[in-house]
Amino acid sequence: MSRFPLVEDRDGQTVVRIPLTRGLGLTPLQTVFAFLGLVGLFALPFLAGLVGLSWERLFRGILFGLAAVGLNLLLRHTELVSFGHAAFFGGGAYGVAVLAAHYNVSEGLLLLLGAVIVGTTLAVVIGYFVAGYVDIYFALLTLAFNQVLFATVFRSGFFNYNDGLQVRIGGDRPTLFFLEWTTLGYDLVLYYTTIVLMLVMLLAMWKLINSPFGRALDAIGQDRTRARFIGIPVEKYVWLSFTISGLYGAFAGGVYALLRLHVQPEPTLYVFVSGEILFMAILGGFTTLVGPLIGGIILVYLLEAARFWVEYYHALTGLVLLAIVFFMPKGIVGSLPDFNAWVAGRVREPGRLQEDVRSATAAVREGVDRATTTVRIIVFGVK
Amino acid sequence: MDRRTVMKAVGGTALAVALAGCSDLLQEEDDPIEDAEVPDEPIEAGLQTFLEGAPAVLGVQAQYGAETAVRRINDNGGIADRQVELEVVEEGEEALENYQQFVDDGMDVTFGPISSGNHEAMVPEINDQGVINVATDGTVTTLYEEDHPPEDNQYSFRFQNHDVMEALAAAIEAVELLGEDEIDTYAGINPGYAFGFDEQEIFAAGIEQLTGAELVYEGFPDLGTDDMSTHIEEVNSEEPDVLFSSCWGGDATLLLEQGHGAGMFDNVELLVGPVLYGSANDLSEDLTDGPIRAGSRNFYWDQPDTERWSPGDELVAEVQDEYGVLPTAHFMSGYGAVTAWATAAEKAVRLLGRWPDQEELAEVLTNHGFFTPAGYHTIGPDHQGYSNAHFGELAWSGEYDAAVIEDVNVYAAKNVSPPQGQTSLDWIESW
Repeated sequence: MSRFPLVEDRDGQTVVRIPLTRGLGLTPLQTVFAFLGLVGLFALPFLAGLVGLSWERLFRGILFGLAAVGLNLLLRHTELVSFGHAAFFGGGAYGVAVLAAHYNVSEGLLLLLGAVIVGTTLAVVIGYFVAGYVDIYFALLTLAFNQVLFATVFRSGFFNYNDGLQVRIGGDRPTLFFLEWTTLGYDLVLYYTTIVLMLVMLLAMWKLINSPFGRALDAIGQDRTRARFIGIPVEKYVWLSFTISGLYGAFAGGVYALLRLHVQPEPTLYVFVSGEILFMAILGGFTTLVGPLIGGIILVYLLEAARFWVEYYHALTGLVLLAIVFFMPKGIVGSLPDFNAWVAGRVREPGRLQEDVRSATAAVREGVDRATTTVRIIVFGVK
Repeated sequence: MDRRTVMKAVGGTALAVALAGCSDLLQEEDDPIEDAEVPDEPIEAGLQTFLEGAPAVLGVQAQYGAETAVRRINDNGGIADRQVELEVVEEGEEALENYQQFVDDGMDVTFGPISSGNHEAMVPEINDQGVINVATDGTVTTLYEEDHPPEDNQYSFRFQNHDVMEALAAAIEAVELLGEDEIDTYAGINPGYAFGFDEQEIFAAGIEQLTGAELVYEGFPDLGTDDMSTHIEEVNSEEPDVLFSSCWGGDATLLLEQGHGAGMFDNVELLVGPVLYGSANDLSEDLTDGPIRAGSRNFYWDQPDTERWSPGDELVAEVQDEYGVLPTAHFMSGYGAVTAWATAAEKAVRLLGRWPDQEELAEVLTNHGFFTPAGYHTIGPDHQGYSNAHFGELAWSGEYDAAVIEDVNVYAAKNVSPPQGQTSLDWIESW
């Protein structure tokens, strides 16, 4: 296949795609975003401080976002809403912590491997039990498994209850690539290793969802009965996608443990964390591949940093989220094409900007009228 | 102790005396600290504590305490002329991240957290970052005894007594009241998380060593539960001589409410609760009936008697005036943590003739002694604060419209904590 820009003819429109792997390519605009994203990711530790952001916090956001990318495989394609994905994030984190605290494993990459094995095994087991269920039953079952794990860890001396486990061996942080690092060196090496692995995982996910397997998952999401009739082994495919989805969470949780060096049940395994991971996907745009990642970064930043800006920081976080849900229902990344189209339209016909202002003003006026009427009825009655 | 002794013991420095609650005693005199080279800008300090949800019962008291100490420091000219600015944030589950943010924001010192799990997560990070943290609580005993012994810990300190001191004081209190031979059985209802398990383990070790009593029931309701009846029924059917409970906040109130409802206090000789008095402002008069000895950690506002101890009296008046509550031990957690650091900082300036760096300040803070209205406190070589532990009969005060404790017993730190270098459970076993 040609490595040069590929010109396709789709429904009479000419579409240019820059091929990345066999059969898959990006539009020029996507290519620009992807390039900027890559530069941003690799320069993050150096750029973040310049604009007053904490890159460790952004790093944690990326990790939760990656777990949300995993969850999104189920949400977007099989249309299953999991309320229990913290089980895999926490499972990965505790995989690292247990190996370090109880078995003195000191190499970070081995710990990470352990995390992936533990979290993915959990996903295999839980996936086996939930794959046959849909809708609210699936959501509640995943939530129940999550709570069972949380309660077990919270009340078990082996996991040191809610005080959690240190990811330090004799007080020292793990080695990475069998080398000891300074505090900053450790964080940087961990970050860049994670980013490289994450890009591979994103690419793999992209290939997966565009493969026949991915199409089969779409079919399952649209109608299970029909999917079964055309010969798709529905439960098996859901089980497999659940496992892959858990693997992403387990990897992210493992890195989180290596970064934080201390694992407690509440920030990793609690069912609210599952809700947050789900919300990250919706916030960033669950119809896109990288949306959940962006959602993760934004939500974690808000949850951690807003308390330093305002007293009622939960209210601020809530307002931001409400604004996004109301004005960007497709999520941040999911709304980008609409936004681009709007900008392009206004550049072509600047006159329509006045129309927009008029319709916005009309909408506000209508809202105020309705509110006034309601208040009048409440205070003075219908007549 | 009279005021003159207090003044002599603290070296008569303006700040130390003000924080001990005796500022009216000072006279103008030449102070070498005035010649010290000290930066002009104010000291920036961060406090993280629980400001919302169930644990805010404790957390907000810690905030009041820290704010009161800072107010007194600033009203008395600051620390070596430097005013203190205190930023308070919600601790949540992100204490480690909050500490990192404080450091990024250039804080000179940080205080908090309340949660022991949060504290455990922070200690290695504190030593990596090298900005002193004086924990208000986070009192799990193994933290400095086993997990972070002095050789591995330079910058992390804790003011409030650790768990062994109140759990053992509870055991001794039970023996003092009922007599060694009268205690054959005991039971425990403790919150089902690390703190509750820690307290029950130490109390069990202590009471068994002191009396040879047998454990008949051990229950761990969830923290913040809305029902303890199954645990209370178990206690009713076992009828233990002593019931131990480290429940706090809403859990303590619930235990007393449901315990009274189910007649639990007819079936036990004594309830000892090391942090029961933390709920002082939330209890009602009828809940204070029964054979209940409530602990108040390292501070009870009326000990020494406020009629004979003006620093205590003035503090209660100030807190009532400012916040409309009675100060509890968690108030002192905040007040004492700030005071420990502030008096050590002033001492360091006096010694060095300039503002100390973090390493020097940590050195001075280790083995540092200072006064608050609660009395004299020391920070040990293990970075743990040591103060008296308090227990008394739970009762009601019409004057304050709040719970009080009467007939208060005070336990010296050395009687309820192991010698340096020994772990608590080993020490108790060696009795």
